[in-house]
Amino acid sequence: MPKFEVSKDDLEKLVGKTFSVEEWEDLFLYAKCELDDVWDYEGKIYFKADAKDTNRPDLWSAEGIARQVKWALGLAKGLPKYEIEKSDIVVYVDEKLKDIRPYGVYAIVEGLELDEEALKQLIQLQEKVALTFGRKRKEVAIGTFDFDKLKPPFYYKAVEPEKIKFVPLNYDVEMTANEILEKHEKGLEYGHLIKGKSYYPLLVDSEENVLSMPPVINSETHGKVTEETRSVFIDITGYNLDKIMLALNVLVTALAERGGKIKSVKVVYKDFEIETPDLTPKEFEVDLSYIKKLSGLELTDEQIKELLERMFYEVELINGKAKLKYPAFRDDIMHARDVLEDVLIAYGYNEIKPEEPELAVQGKGDDFVEFENAIRELMIGFGLQEIITFNLTNKENLFARMNIEEEPVVEIENPISLNWSTLRNWLLPSLMEFLSKNTHEEYPQKIFEVGKATLIDETKETKTISESKLAIAIAHPRVTFTEVKEILESFMRHLEYEYELKEINHGSFIPGRAGKIIVNDKEIGVIGEIHPQVLENWGIEMPVAAFEIFLRPLYKPST
Amino acid sequence: MELSYHEKLALIALKELNGKAKFEELVERSKLDQVAVMRAVLWLQSKGLTKLHEREKRVVKLTEIGEKYSKIGLPERRALKLLVEKGKASLDDLKDVLSEDEIKPIIGVLRKEGWANIRKEEGKLILEVTEKGRKALGEERPIDKVLQILADKEEVEVDEIERLISLNELKRRKIAEEEQKSEREVELTEEGLKLVEKGLELKEEVSYLTPELITSGKWREVEFKRYNIKAPVKVIYPGKKQPYRAFLDKIRRKLIEMGFIEMTVDSLIETQFWNFDALFQPQNHPARDWTDTYQLKYPKYGMLPNEKLVEKVKASHESGWITGSRGWGYKWDPRLAMQLMPRAHGTALSARQLAKGTQIPGKYFAIQRVFRPDVLDRTHLIEFNQVEGFVIGEDLNFKHLLGILKRFAVEVAGAKKVKFLPDYYPFTEPSVQMSAYHKELGWVEFGGAGVFREEMTKPLGIDVPVIAWGIGIDRLAMFKLGIDDIRYLFSYDLRWLREAKILW
Repeated sequence: MPKFEVSKDDLEKLVGKTFSVEEWEDLFLYAKCELDDVWDYEGKIYFKADAKDTNRPDLWSAEGIARQVKWALGLAKGLPKYEIEKSDIVVYVDEKLKDIRPYGVYAIVEGLELDEEALKQLIQLQEKVALTFGRKRKEVAIGTFDFDKLKPPFYYKAVEPEKIKFVPLNYDVEMTANEILEKHEKGLEYGHLIKGKSYYPLLVDSEENVLSMPPVINSETHGKVTEETRSVFIDITGYNLDKIMLALNVLVTALAERGGKIKSVKVVYKDFEIETPDLTPKEFEVDLSYIKKLSGLELTDEQIKELLERMFYEVELINGKAKLKYPAFRDDIMHARDVLEDVLIAYGYNEIKPEEPELAVQGKGDDFVEFENAIRELMIGFGLQEIITFNLTNKENLFARMNIEEEPVVEIENPISLNWSTLRNWLLPSLMEFLSKNTHEEYPQKIFEVGKATLIDETKETKTISESKLAIAIAHPRVTFTEVKEILESFMRHLEYEYELKEINHGSFIPGRAGKIIVNDKEIGVIGEIHPQVLENWGIEMPVAAFEIFLRPLYKPST
Repeated sequence: MELSYHEKLALIALKELNGKAKFEELVERSKLDQVAVMRAVLWLQSKGLTKLHEREKRVVKLTEIGEKYSKIGLPERRALKLLVEKGKASLDDLKDVLSEDEIKPIIGVLRKEGWANIRKEEGKLILEVTEKGRKALGEERPIDKVLQILADKEEVEVDEIERLISLNELKRRKIAEEEQKSEREVELTEEGLKLVEKGLELKEEVSYLTPELITSGKWREVEFKRYNIKAPVKVIYPGKKQPYRAFLDKIRRKLIEMGFIEMTVDSLIETQFWNFDALFQPQNHPARDWTDTYQLKYPKYGMLPNEKLVEKVKASHESGWITGSRGWGYKWDPRLAMQLMPRAHGTALSARQLAKGTQIPGKYFAIQRVFRPDVLDRTHLIEFNQVEGFVIGEDLNFKHLLGILKRFAVEVAGAKKVKFLPDYYPFTEPSVQMSAYHKELGWVEFGGAGVFREEMTKPLGIDVPVIAWGIGIDRLAMFKLGIDDIRYLFSYDLRWLREAKILW
């Protein structure tokens, strides 16, 4: 889902090897990415990667791709190792944040030399993690700062909005918190995450300089990261400690891939203290027989071990089981299936020979669908053109334009457009809409649709039922009731039904030229000449005769 | 040689006219109309039986004035007649027989012909007939003769007229005018002559074969008028399947042939439970966001299925239940699962079918209308048809998944080459995307598949592997239908539907 850009040179510098563009296309697959686009800018080749797995943010940057490629090609194996040195830096977290944005985790990465490409990757990774993994910053908001410009210790605290004032990123004047929410681009985009709370979250240093107002915006004046930055201070906030810890691990290990040294920070909460980041590997155990059976591959235990080592696992084989350790920048191993997929990706999907299962089964079409198809064929035999229209429509089309009273109908709460805000409960409005769009086309126009009309039915699990219906409409200067009745008559004869017409008053039809269609004492449809008011409503200047009928009551299983 | 009735008539008429005749004469003699004769002559010429000669000629025709004079007489003739009757006449008297504009020029003519003397009497001009005038009444001058000839023949060749009178004289008096004309002459060739001399069997020619001709047996005695079978005809429109439907029907037939059983459902509306929860899609999954999923304003909530199933799904989400998974680790909310929505993907049907129970082994498919909140434009639809299903069996594995996908590519898209990419769906693991190589479109993303997660299948009561698949058919449909605007799959354009080619 997330798409991101990387430079080929940068990737190759990180891997320590060069490849052709075609080779890269295959290498991206190890990182569950599809190479979406390749272009050349000022003599350098860039890739756009489409990351498939929304639970693997560690693969959404040049550092992550390069790491996966190194392992997949066997240039490294097993658990990636990262040293963490303890710093004496402390962040104090205000308990008033409990109902606002309770958690913050922090780290420092030192000894960096960030060139333009590295800086771009850092910013992009932050953005993608916060956007997709962090649900548009709601669950994960990330700030990075030039640590050497800051005055620790730090305070993550809850402050009344009126008391907040600082220069937000990309501005040169101080703004109040509410000004930021109302005027700043990021304020407008993310302000809703804190708006209306009595306190806003704020990260300040020991001199009360504002570093950031999570999850909205950082400060322009304090700690902005540039190419000169050598030490990065990372701040991640959210509601779920596990989730933000994972995001922190993704970020620090990405920077470590560029030679950074990770230093941990002590985070002091009212009731507890934690040291972040925590890169302790996670553990899992799988049955090797499970992997073998479901992969369909003839693999030995050793081969499975070797494949898993190429996907960052440390593997210990014990009695047909594999005891696994996997890195703390991953959190997607829920089930043995997830391990299986890693084995298959390491093996290479395209190295596996597809095999069709031999199953003794017989295909069968749904009999009612066959019935609908037979009816469509019959209508085509009458010279009618089949149409397919949308189920989505609006009340105006269903009722007002058809000159009838409104009825309860399925309505969408969040339509993209009001034109598509209800599901139709009958088909004729769709046919009228069709005719209204073809007034310049040669007449006679004869059309039909076999489609669904969705009705409210309180007894059903979904409170609705979508009934299969047939509707036909014929338009030409001399069309009459008789012409459509002839078709109805023939239709009924071919289905072996007796029917009866009972005159009705129906706003859509001319009085005295409309009837209910009755079969076995049940009303199953309407037929008539369309009322000129309806024609006028649709801008149709040609007489129209039509009928619409439920198909389910006419269905008999085929013999 | 095959000859039409008209051709035979023309040949015979030509023979009677000594083998050579002007076109007009031939028309008269053959008693056919001009068009029929011309058509016959052209056919005869193409068969080498006649020759058509054409030459340019100048002809003289009466003008409107000339026509009038031919009926009521030349003005000088009318004046002379009056003079002879009365002996003399004033100019006023002449008005009885001449029109105002004829009077003045006529005085000159009468004088020049020596038919009348002109003198003044009481200040008025009086015309008196001469002896020559009296005699002239019974004589015919060249101009009189010419007028008669032209009145009789309509058009006469210039030479013939000029033998009698100068054409300029006629032109000056606006009696006649000259015209350039082409004359067509038809001549029998030697072969044509031989053929006619041998004798031609003449049969009546008819335009239509009528029931009477058939029942009376008279059809044996007639010839049927030859048609120009190349003549253009009116465009007509048959009743037809909608092209997208024809395409979907074909896929449906293919799938049934491949051993799949069709699944259907009775509503386009679904609970979030079946659309998401039963597929192990966590309740905070981005796809369940307001912007990515429609919700209903009315009716808002549906019902959950039986409590046991709901409990298992809940447990699977929260802690993995007995599936061997750790679950998503959150508190599952039944209220959210009850929310209604237009079905967003066909996988919801697969979940329902699995819960209902299936054949094992078994293959299932559905072609189902689904809804996505998108803006309708040339590359996006707001509702479309999805082709999805699953294969269930005790010994299924990942190789089979690839095998099934490849078969689709070959059967449905006619692809020869396929490639597989890792993919991600919340309800399958491992997951695959397949690209198929289409000779005109290049690599096309063609389908997605995976093995349903146990966190999904176990709560539904399934303990064997289930391969879920979906095939992306829109680009293929657009290609087959020859369109580059996806909205045409649900075309509201009758012209396009009428013109659309058929699929099989």
